[in-house]
Amino acid sequence: MVFAMLIVLPYIYVYQTFLESHAYDLLADSEKQLYDIMETLTQPFVGSDPENELDAIKGTTWSGNFFGFMISDPLAGLGQFAAGLSMHQPLLLAILIPVLLTLLFGRFYCGWICPAIFLYELNTNIRMMLKRMGLRVGSKGISLNLKYYVLALGVLLSGFFGTVFFASIYPPAIIGRELFYAIALGGFSSGLVFFILTLLFDLLVARRGFCRYLCPGGALYSLLGRYRVLRIQRIVAECNDCAKCNAVCELGLDPLNDGFGQECNNCTACIAICPTDGLEFKFQIKDIAAQGPGHLGKKYLYPSAEDQAAQVE
Amino acid sequence: MIRSLVRLTSRKMQRELKKSSCDTIAPSVENTDRRNFLKELIASAIALAVQPVHAAQNQPSIRFLRPPGSLPEKEFASQCIHCGQCSAVCPNRCIRYFGLENGFASMDTPYIIPREKACILCMKCGDICPSGAIQPIKRALEPIISKVRMGKAVVDRQLCLSWQGKTCGVCYRACPLADVAIRVGLLEQPHVLDKCVGCGLCERSCIQLPQAIRIIPNYG
Repeated sequence: MVFAMLIVLPYIYVYQTFLESHAYDLLADSEKQLYDIMETLTQPFVGSDPENELDAIKGTTWSGNFFGFMISDPLAGLGQFAAGLSMHQPLLLAILIPVLLTLLFGRFYCGWICPAIFLYELNTNIRMMLKRMGLRVGSKGISLNLKYYVLALGVLLSGFFGTVFFASIYPPAIIGRELFYAIALGGFSSGLVFFILTLLFDLLVARRGFCRYLCPGGALYSLLGRYRVLRIQRIVAECNDCAKCNAVCELGLDPLNDGFGQECNNCTACIAICPTDGLEFKFQIKDIAAQGPGHLGKKYLYPSAEDQAAQVE
Repeated sequence: MIRSLVRLTSRKMQRELKKSSCDTIAPSVENTDRRNFLKELIASAIALAVQPVHAAQNQPSIRFLRPPGSLPEKEFASQCIHCGQCSAVCPNRCIRYFGLENGFASMDTPYIIPREKACILCMKCGDICPSGAIQPIKRALEPIISKVRMGKAVVDRQLCLSWQGKTCGVCYRACPLADVAIRVGLLEQPHVLDKCVGCGLCERSCIQLPQAIRIIPNYG
């Protein structure tokens, strides 16, 4: 949905410029078509002055204007601080809402808002297809901590170049910008090359490798969400150790052994796949320590006296 | 830069020659020489690495304007978060974005080429800019004159039709701050005044090819 919004917004912008020119008759046929489509789409939401009222929603998930609220990615604030050692006050306010939400819900941005996720998940499907065709895809396990080093390196490079370096290596920012360039201004920029490289990285090196191991935004959100309130937890009495949750986890975590940690983005994939409903949301500040195997595994590893007797018989 | 590299290589060659001709050079001399050489090598490598980064601040590859209300170039580069919203509100579609052609620091930062499409001083970009790189300025005569510093128009009298005796005056009529930023005299000959903010509408509208009036950008 966020992705669709990012496609619609540049079209709305183009429509606004058409409105402002007050020259419907002079538009080309394709432009007239676009004008009509956008008019029917936006008609229910605007009053008498569409060309200014449509300014209410602007921007991308990197930084946007939403009915007068400015919302920015915390990474933008960090980058600006690193580049100039000062921060613009409104930007501080703009990153406040995401920071607070992240403190409460953890790395939810990655699972629910990030527009690049859509493409990365498509890429995962392509990966599955390639695998079925018998091609070899990379599935290396790198340390999950690598992304924190990328974050630190980004801060250093921002300071060195004197520019917000994250904007050119952070896929959500790139996607929003490139879509705008492509639709409203015409043509792509160099960010697209970087994004394609990340897609290739996912195919050739590790599944969802960029999100798992390299994304600086994910690292920042993980750090902020370390003491989040809403967590997924395993109910040890229900778990049957099938390890489907580990296989489905996009971020390479270890739900089977209660290894959610700060990097879980509450995407609910493990909840959805669990055959015994052994995972659920809880309001808690800390993960519970590893609880050992679930009920089937427990029976196997530490059999009770009756079970042993039954086995002997 | 290149000269220093040449000097370095020539010095190295000299040293090689010396070495081959006589073996009586004291080891301590040799050591300091090598140390200096390494030092200069590292310094020049750093200089080479930094050079393209600051190209935008010292020697821009094209003549461009920043949007109205922009900070000085160096601060602008560090404040701008490359979000693309200034272009998304620009009703005139004049704001565009750099690729890598003007150095890495100004990648994805907004610019205006006045001859292609000039700023109409609507001041929407400053209102929407979340990063403070473009300062919000009220859309009124007084704040615009005192705060907007995009550049200043300069008339080329050899090219200008009016100065060559054919009455024109198009730049004066295009100027949003007519009589404040530009004034016409005899035969509609344009005189740019001190209060010109450099929006570029005169350059956009000039009927001469190449344009007889152009904006000298103010990046400082």
